[in-house]
This record gives sequence, C-alpha cells and structure tokens, in this order.
Amino acid sequence: MIWRSFVSEWVKMRRRRLWYGTYGAITGVVMLTTIVTIAGALRHPGAHGALTLVQLAHASGLSQGLTQSGVLLGAVSFSVAAFQFGGEFSHGTLRNLLVRQPRRSVLMAGKCLAVLTFLIGAVVLATVFGICAAFVMAHLRSIPTSAWTSGAGMSDLGNLLGDLVIATCGFAVIGMIAGVLFRSSVIAIAAGLAVLLPFETILTDAVPGTGRWLPAQLLEAIAQGGSASAPFAAAVITVAAYLAGAVAIAMLVFVRRDVTA
Amino acid sequence: MVTRALTKRFGKRLAVDGLDLRIPAGSISGFVGPNGAGKTTTIRMLLGLIRPTDGTGTVLGHPLGHSRAYLPRVGALIEGPTFYPALSGRENLMVLARLGGLRPNRVDAVLERVGLHGRGLDPFRTYSLGMRQRLGIAAALLPGPELLVLDEPTNGLDPYGIAEIRAMLRSFADDGMTVFVSSHLLAEIQQVCEHLVVIEAGRLLFQGGVDELLAARAPELIVRTENPGDARYLLALVKGTGRRARLIGHYESTTLEIVADCSWAGDLNRLAMANGITLVHLAERRSTLEEAFFEITRTGGRAKSGPGGSSSDPAGFGRKAGSWAAKGRRP
Repeated sequence: MIWRSFVSEWVKMRRRRLWYGTYGAITGVVMLTTIVTIAGALRHPGAHGALTLVQLAHASGLSQGLTQSGVLLGAVSFSVAAFQFGGEFSHGTLRNLLVRQPRRSVLMAGKCLAVLTFLIGAVVLATVFGICAAFVMAHLRSIPTSAWTSGAGMSDLGNLLGDLVIATCGFAVIGMIAGVLFRSSVIAIAAGLAVLLPFETILTDAVPGTGRWLPAQLLEAIAQGGSASAPFAAAVITVAAYLAGAVAIAMLVFVRRDVTA
Repeated sequence: MVTRALTKRFGKRLAVDGLDLRIPAGSISGFVGPNGAGKTTTIRMLLGLIRPTDGTGTVLGHPLGHSRAYLPRVGALIEGPTFYPALSGRENLMVLARLGGLRPNRVDAVLERVGLHGRGLDPFRTYSLGMRQRLGIAAALLPGPELLVLDEPTNGLDPYGIAEIRAMLRSFADDGMTVFVSSHLLAEIQQVCEHLVVIEAGRLLFQGGVDELLAARAPELIVRTENPGDARYLLALVKGTGRRARLIGHYESTTLEIVADCSWAGDLNRLAMANGITLVHLAERRSTLEEAFFEITRTGGRAKSGPGGSSSDPAGFGRKAGSWAAKGRRP
C-alpha cells in the first residue's frame, strides 16, 4: 500500500521542471558555498577564525565548503516538501488521491518517503558536484589535495554526506508538516521559512542558549556534524523527538480532518 | 447507495440535515438543488472525504465509515476536474492508477473512452474546459467502477460538450454502472436521468422517478384563439366548467393556459366551436423539470421516496385549488 503511494508520488515528481529546479538549486547552493569557502580562505592565519589554505589541505578540507551549505539546503528541501504536500490542498488534487487511496496515513507515508528519496538524491548529486568544484578551486588556489583522497578524507566526506542527508530530511519533514497543517503551499513556505530562518536566527542571537532547542538551529548543527552549543548526538535526539511529535500531530490532523478543498 | 438521517454540521451551520437517500442500483440518478444546498457535502460524505456529524449509510453494501471497502469500486469526479497543471493528462491519470494499484493500460483505455487519446500527452494546463471535464470523467472511470459519482460534470461546457457528456452518461448506464450525477442543468438531468433527488438547505425535498415528479404536476392545455377578444370569452367559458385557466401574457393575448389533461381537448374544442370561437392552436403542454424544480424548491416540497418510500402526496408539491403554488412548508 505504501509502495503504491510512493510510486504514485514519483510519477508526479518525475516532471522535468521539478528536477531542474530542485536539483539545480541544491547543486548550485552546494557548489556556490564550496567555491566561496575555498576562494575566501586566507593564505595566513587571520582574525575571526577564518579558514586558511593550510587548514583546507587537511583531510577535512574537502568537506569544509559542503558543511556551510546545510541551512540553504534545508531551505530548499523545506520548500519542496511543503510544496508537494500543501499543493495537494491548494490544487484540490487531494480529494482525487483520497478516493483512490482512502487510507490517509498510508498515502501520507508513501508521499513522505517519495519526497525524502527525491531530496536525498538531490543532496548526493549536489555533493558530487561540490566535490568537483572543490577540486577545481583547490587547483586554482594551489591547495594540495592528497589528504582529501586519503582514507581519513573519504571517511570525513562520508560522515558529512550522512549529516547533510539527516539535516535535509529533517527540514523536509518539517516542510511536509507545514504543508499539511497550513493546507497551502504558499502559506506553508512563507510562514515556515520566516520562522526557521530569520526568526530563529534573531531569537538565537537575542537569547543565548536557545539555539540548542530551536529546530532549524539544531538541523544546521547536525549538517555541520555538531556545534559548540548543540553537540551532534544531542541535536539528533532533540530533533528526532520534535519530529516524532510533530509527525504524530500532523498525521492525526491529516487523518481526521475533513477534506473540503 | 442508501443513507439514513445523514447529517453534517460545520460549526453552527447545518450543511446536510437528516438526509435519507435511496439510490437504486443500475440507474442514472440526478442530484439537484440550489447552490449551497449541500450536494457536494453529501457527495464528499459518501466518498469518505468528510465525516458525517450524524446518520448512517451504505455504499455498495458497505457502511459509510468503511470507505476503503467500497471506494475501489467507485469512480468520482468531485467539484470539477482538478489535476496537476504541469503533468500531461496521461501522467495525471497514471498518478491515480499507480495509487489505486490499477494496471497502466487502464489509463489508455479510459483516455480512449472519453475521446482524449490524441491529447493524452499534452499538459493538463493546455486543456480546454471540455477536455478537463472529460479527463475528470476518465479519472473516475479508471477503476472500472460499479458506481460513478459525478459532481457537476457539465459545468461550464458548451452545448456540444454537454451533449457529449450526456451521451457518455448513457453509455455508462448501458454498461451497467450506477451513475449518480449532480448538476444545475435541469434540462440535461431531465433528458438523462431516470431517478431524481432534490435537496435544499441540506434537506430532502423529493426523491423518486423523474417521470413521477413531472406527472405529479397538473397537466395543462395551451390554447390559442384566432381573435384576441375570443380568448377572454373562452376563458370565462372554461372557468364556467369549473376548471382553472388563465390568460397568458398581456391583456390582448390570444393564448390560454388551462389546467386539464389532453382527454378534455376534444370537449374544449367543441365548447369553442359551439360558441363561435376558432382555435388556431390546441396542444398539451408537458411540464419541464425546471418548472418542477422551481416549484418544489419554492414551496419547500414534501419529501417523497420513490422505490420503497412513502408519501401522502405523490407529487411532493401538489397544487392547491385556485392557486398556482402550494403554500405549506415541509412538516
């Protein structure tokens, strides 16, 4: 049953414009942050803890640029997921789907899996392009890359990819929840991005210590492999708890609410 | 399809009020009522999209609360065709076919059936309104349904499109489907449907055979005299026989409307001839569904069941002597 819903959603997501838009945006974000990070690296240690070329030559250097793209990847993932779910209400297509699949939880689970696989594919592709961009930039800035291809470098890259996937999925699930609760892709995206990005950032700056409790801050920390205020394990556990609760509420609302759209 | 006291309340607003439906299998049933009467809400409850506040019902032998048991055998077009604009007609149907676990070749079959096979690969957003309606019907046909529920399938269509949909509905019934169709186009309902449900403000006003509803209206004869003065004279003569009649139109009109069936036409003709009145037109006037609908909704009607139902007033809205409309509301 979930498989049918999953396959059905993929029929919808195969459209070229969605692929170009999402994969292009995510790849562009990753490449851009990689290029900017390496281009902005200092030849000698400077103020504000800026990266240096020596640091970039380490095994973790390859993933430095990718690490910075977590929030932007999250914003794109959130928007795509919110659009895929909220759009069903906005377009009025949900009623068609529910006539063919009356088990609403099954429908939601299948759609969710499809959107997540779509976004994970985008992150993997973007990472590949980000790596290519990093090697090109390393060549341009004469950064030795032998450490990048070492076992430690590959391991670091693997960890980073895993972190990015977790963070992306987290943002996507929040997007789906927003789509279901707001029943409009436009409102879900607008309200969600406003809360997740500027609002949370301002709140974190204004009230020290709140960063370890706010979902977007936690997901950003996860994308970076953990931060000082939110260690990786703690961030994953907190986000998992948030998402479990939110998914349960969204599922309950989705299953019980009348479909009048 | 049967419901008993089906009720839906949105906050303080009562959208559907104790509806007792009985839709016979294998028929084309029309579902009519003014805007906001509760038709779409009723259809959504039948399809499991909206939870009834109260009442029960069965669809294809399964209770309303178990829509998953009967929906695989139901096709539906609800409140107009809504699809993903960027996807082609074929892809839109494929989304639904995959979701319902249906074979992909069903998509081509239903596109062929509604005459969209040649445009199946075009994006939905490029479709005309008629094509969109046909795609909606194609989506409803996907599971090879036993019950087809169509909400306003002719909305916004030109006369050719309406005629196409009408022909389709007849062909579906010929295939043995039960078709339940809501529409504002009463002339279409009259042409296509055998059974009719009329609701207003969420309440059932009438259900039964269309012929039964039309036959319940008092028959009328339309008479035109050669000379204007003769019409008024004939009016007095007819009233003298105890029949109700009226002059149609202006003071100098030559046309009379007489409440009588065609068996009295001969007597009327003789009456006119005996008094030196020449008739240039004498015909029975058949009631239209539109007239019946306006009357039944204006008067509040009286709930009437067709098969298996009962009513003290077979018309559901019988005329009172000397009046052209019943006055009483439903008890």
